[in-house]
Amino acid sequence: METLTPSQAPGLTRRDFLFKGTLAGAGLVLGMPSILKAVDGPAAASNMINVGFIGCGKQHEVLFNAMVNIPGLRYTAVCDIMKDRVGAAYGRIRSRFGYDPKRYIDAADMLEKEKDLDAVIVSTPDFWHSPHTVMSLQAGKHVYCEKMMAQNLEGARAMVKAMDDSGKLCQIGHQRRSNPRYIYTLKELIQRHKICGRIVNANAHWNRAVSSSRDITAPARILPNKETLLKYGFGREGQNLSDEELQRRFLNWRLYRDLSGGPISDLGAHQIDIFNWFFGARPKSVIASGGCDYFKDREHFDNVMCIFDYDTADGGARAFYQVLTTTSAGGGYAESFMGTDGTIEISERSAYTKIYREPGSAPSWDPLVQQGWLKKASAYAAPADSSDAIASYASAAPEGFELPGDLNEPPHQPHLANFFAAIRGDAKLNCDAREALESEAPIYWVNPAAQRNETIIFTEEHLHT
Amino acid sequence: MSQESQSQHTFDLGATLGVLVLRLWLAVRAILSGLEKYAGTSTSSSPVTIDGAVNSYGLTEATATKIYSFANYHGVPKPLYDKVLAEPLIPEWGLKIYDQILGPALIALGIALLFGFASRFTLFAMGLLYTSLTVGLILINENSGVAWLAIHIALIALMLFQAKHNKLELTGKWKL
Repeated sequence: METLTPSQAPGLTRRDFLFKGTLAGAGLVLGMPSILKAVDGPAAASNMINVGFIGCGKQHEVLFNAMVNIPGLRYTAVCDIMKDRVGAAYGRIRSRFGYDPKRYIDAADMLEKEKDLDAVIVSTPDFWHSPHTVMSLQAGKHVYCEKMMAQNLEGARAMVKAMDDSGKLCQIGHQRRSNPRYIYTLKELIQRHKICGRIVNANAHWNRAVSSSRDITAPARILPNKETLLKYGFGREGQNLSDEELQRRFLNWRLYRDLSGGPISDLGAHQIDIFNWFFGARPKSVIASGGCDYFKDREHFDNVMCIFDYDTADGGARAFYQVLTTTSAGGGYAESFMGTDGTIEISERSAYTKIYREPGSAPSWDPLVQQGWLKKASAYAAPADSSDAIASYASAAPEGFELPGDLNEPPHQPHLANFFAAIRGDAKLNCDAREALESEAPIYWVNPAAQRNETIIFTEEHLHT
Repeated sequence: MSQESQSQHTFDLGATLGVLVLRLWLAVRAILSGLEKYAGTSTSSSPVTIDGAVNSYGLTEATATKIYSFANYHGVPKPLYDKVLAEPLIPEWGLKIYDQILGPALIALGIALLFGFASRFTLFAMGLLYTSLTVGLILINENSGVAWLAIHIALIALMLFQAKHNKLELTGKWKL
């Protein structure tokens, strides 16, 4: 069995990785249309799509649970370097569908033997996303890969190139792009009815409690051994890592700089993507600050704050983002678009979504409510006048509204359904690798900006796809 | 009258009420745990109408209702089932049978205990059932669940120790 590390994926040595990524970035693939729809392979004949999973951890479970309600899928293979997870994924499929998927430890082995696979779902640690996606595309499979695309820009650019070269589909897991609540908010409320007026500021956060940010632990007996972990890149020979440290890196790869981008890419990528999507623009610059203020032994910052500067079609705007792994107060995770007439605070969770109309300046939204474009909020009301309010300082309280409907299915389901519909030729991908990279590229520069304590003015070299 | 027969006929109100409460708790716990295995949610969602037409984005309004039906039955909760299935010490056929009988067994034992049918054997069987659940939880390293079940076992053992104070039984004449 071939030993594979991120730098040794088929046809993709580390040098290739950098070189090909640079070529892609240099524009050799620019102008090549991204293949957004596909009807070929075994799927075309039977309309049943054979799906394989690379990576069977927690995110695999989230995706699987979102896929089980999508018809026309057959789960033929599962792969993970941790046997326990392979067994659990196998059990999930068997107990739900009554048939046996094939079990693999090595992704290259799976791709070599499973010729009938149409699509691969990649939910491995970030530093494996690019190698697994590239090797799957090169093997002729359509790929749905979790975000962040890779732990560095070169890896992400290699994915775009592999997508273009193979002609296969590659959807990146920015699932909000397929969420009807987000699409409706952008197209109807912001673009058509312009309820926010002129948007001058966006503001998003992901506040996660210490209790949810602690190290993940598991009994050593169920974890891959040292040889396996070294073979799959969780440590290098020269690092002289103990068994315990290697296993910590395996379970907590999000904490290490050579394995992931840390909280800003882990949690921030979803939401910073919304800034770029809703503004329809890429930022001009970023300033950032971060620190290992609580989890002092971690390589990545536990709290990061950053500000992106935009030139939108309507003029300048700024977007502030913070990710906290030390406190959850402040409302979980949401993205706010704040304009002269109103603010839309939207989240994947309906409970965190609120819409406010600016009193005094905004036109009445009553016609929109009557027609059903918005609902009056029932849960949050303006605070009553009280002795601690100084009328001359405070703005009048805004009115509260809600979206007229919800997504009543798992939040990843529409994005996965879009991927499978695109394989059948019935839809266009909502977030293919190129579009995802255009949005993700600025995120890769947040940690460097915070580390160097300097403003990074973006150039084509920083952001090219 | 010997001391032994004296003690058999001594009526201790406190101990009797204590055992009755314990019996009720264990019975209700078993019956409802069994019934919950038939519980599910019926969610109906309808598309939202905007400006006189059904919206094209897929926005829906949902209403969820809890319902009980045989179709909802899941003996071992699904996440646990998947984990236990991956355990080499648990054969799949065994897990399947266990999954099928767990809910009905809990209900049957709970009802038997509630009405006082062969209370001691019922309690012993209930104890064995909770012990079997513990085995699965030990294997998948769910220590909090193991501790939780240990409390049940302790309550059952306590009631067995105090079985002589158990009154109002269907099989009272033929204490089993």
